[in-house]
Amino acid sequence: MSRGRRGKRVSTEETPAVLPVDCRVSAVVTVLNEEATLPLVLRELGKLPLEEIVVVLNGCTDSSLSIARSFPQVTAVHYAEKLGHDVGRSIGAKLTKSDIVLFVDSDIPIGADRLKRFIAAIAQGADVALNDISPFLPLFRDWDEVTKMKAFLNLSLGRPDLRANSMTCVPHAMSRRAIERIGSGMLAVPPKAQAAVIEAGLRIRTAAAVNVLQTNRVRNSNVGKDNEVSRLIIGDHIEALKYAMNAGGSRLTNDDSGRRRHVVMRRQL
Amino acid sequence: MNRLLISGIRSRSGRVGGSSQSSDAGGARGRVVRRRGPSGRKLSRPASSVHRTRPVGETERSDSIPLVSVIIPVMNERRTIRRVIREAFAVHPSTEVIVVANGTRDGSSVIAKKAGARVIEYAEPLGHDVGRAVGAEAARGDVLLFIDGDMVISASRLRPFVAAVLREGVDVALNDYSGPTAKPIVHSVVLAKHALNAMLQRPDLNGTSMTAVPHALSRSALTAVGAESLAVPPLAHAKAIRLGLRVKAVHHVNVGKLNPPRRERERMKPLEYVIVGDHLEALEWVLGRGDDRCGFVDQTRKRHYAR
Repeated sequence: MSRGRRGKRVSTEETPAVLPVDCRVSAVVTVLNEEATLPLVLRELGKLPLEEIVVVLNGCTDSSLSIARSFPQVTAVHYAEKLGHDVGRSIGAKLTKSDIVLFVDSDIPIGADRLKRFIAAIAQGADVALNDISPFLPLFRDWDEVTKMKAFLNLSLGRPDLRANSMTCVPHAMSRRAIERIGSGMLAVPPKAQAAVIEAGLRIRTAAAVNVLQTNRVRNSNVGKDNEVSRLIIGDHIEALKYAMNAGGSRLTNDDSGRRRHVVMRRQL
Repeated sequence: MNRLLISGIRSRSGRVGGSSQSSDAGGARGRVVRRRGPSGRKLSRPASSVHRTRPVGETERSDSIPLVSVIIPVMNERRTIRRVIREAFAVHPSTEVIVVANGTRDGSSVIAKKAGARVIEYAEPLGHDVGRAVGAEAARGDVLLFIDGDMVISASRLRPFVAAVLREGVDVALNDYSGPTAKPIVHSVVLAKHALNAMLQRPDLNGTSMTAVPHALSRSALTAVGAESLAVPPLAHAKAIRLGLRVKAVHHVNVGKLNPPRRERERMKPLEYVIVGDHLEALEWVLGRGDDRCGFVDQTRKRHYAR
């Protein structure tokens, strides 16, 4: 995505980073050959009062596993094969029993001060604390299809205020209550999890703004307008909409009772 | 709801309609709303010039099947309807103009009849876009052009849509208008249109849509999507694309009259809900024909590990 400098900066509702003393907090990190950035990610997480750090390694052929094991607090889970997008998050969420779970990726080191805000938001009563990417988005005309789908899903679910913020994006944090309510398996398709969270009436909001658009590692599969990852995420949003429509009806809450369709039907008979 | 009357063809249309409303209509006559064509010329002309702007051959047209049907849903549009109809007739020598008047209380339907349109009249409002479907059912032309009664668009700017269908084999000729997008937050309708095209694997269409006028349909496109689906324009749009019709943005007409962007957390307007719902209904139709992801696969994801 091109980065617009002309995009108006949108103020973010920042949560004060006051960490709870009576909550157990853990982090879930998914890893696919990230030996360069994994130590930086784990070092930042080490500054937080975490009960455990669940590192889900999949398809790693580099030294990521030994790096993970060298850090205290780390519970490493290792799969020889690639699990595919977001499946690792679901596995990690199932393994930890903490009250608050912070989800991060191993390719984007984020300072502990920033990460604290997501944990704090859950401690203050939110069920899902999202990363607010609004300040970093370009003008709409330069949005990619994935960003449009994120915003459309929120709009359809009656939460246009969430804009293009999504559980597809890290970092984000969840309450144990939310994970148990929707089921950890849902997290393998993050937009579907988001639909389930909103449908269940759980509290979802943004907690801090971290620019992951610039720092996301460029891979062969995520470059170009119609790349593989982008197609996967668009599909995730369609699946999320279908899930929501199965539960809430084909128009969700978007009523058109003023429309007299029977007029056309009757004329056709 | 009762369908009150369908007026005759234009040659006798001047005699149809209640006289009580004609005085209202007369009041609108001569009022000039300045709208400019692409060349900057004023589109509105004095009423006396109306007949001169009509193409020749209109008498035969009344009796034979027209080539072009222009469909105009109308509620209370007496300020613009006469000029809208005049431009519609000037689109092609063989044109019928169908006005679907619904819930009209300002004499619009009387003006429409006097201007030579076939008027299909309903006492109560039909709701958003239902008039298009009603008009499409009544249409006899090979090309159907859809415009609105409240917006005067010159014939020269309407012809490209008809020409694309008649001469270029386009089935659905869309207005190449994607809404105001040079901003960080767009109107919900603009967002929905872009998202639907993305889901239909036609991101090249940007925010163009059958929701927006003007647009033209071939007779075969109408048969394929069904007239009733035109009451939910995004549904007709999705059907046209998924049924393999040639859907193309052919010409830009700036119909930008959308509401300004909402402030955060401000409530949406009722019409926005209707249109967002329309887009979901369109998606549901697409999903009903195939897989749960509209062809956007995730084969690399090993879901059985996630429980």
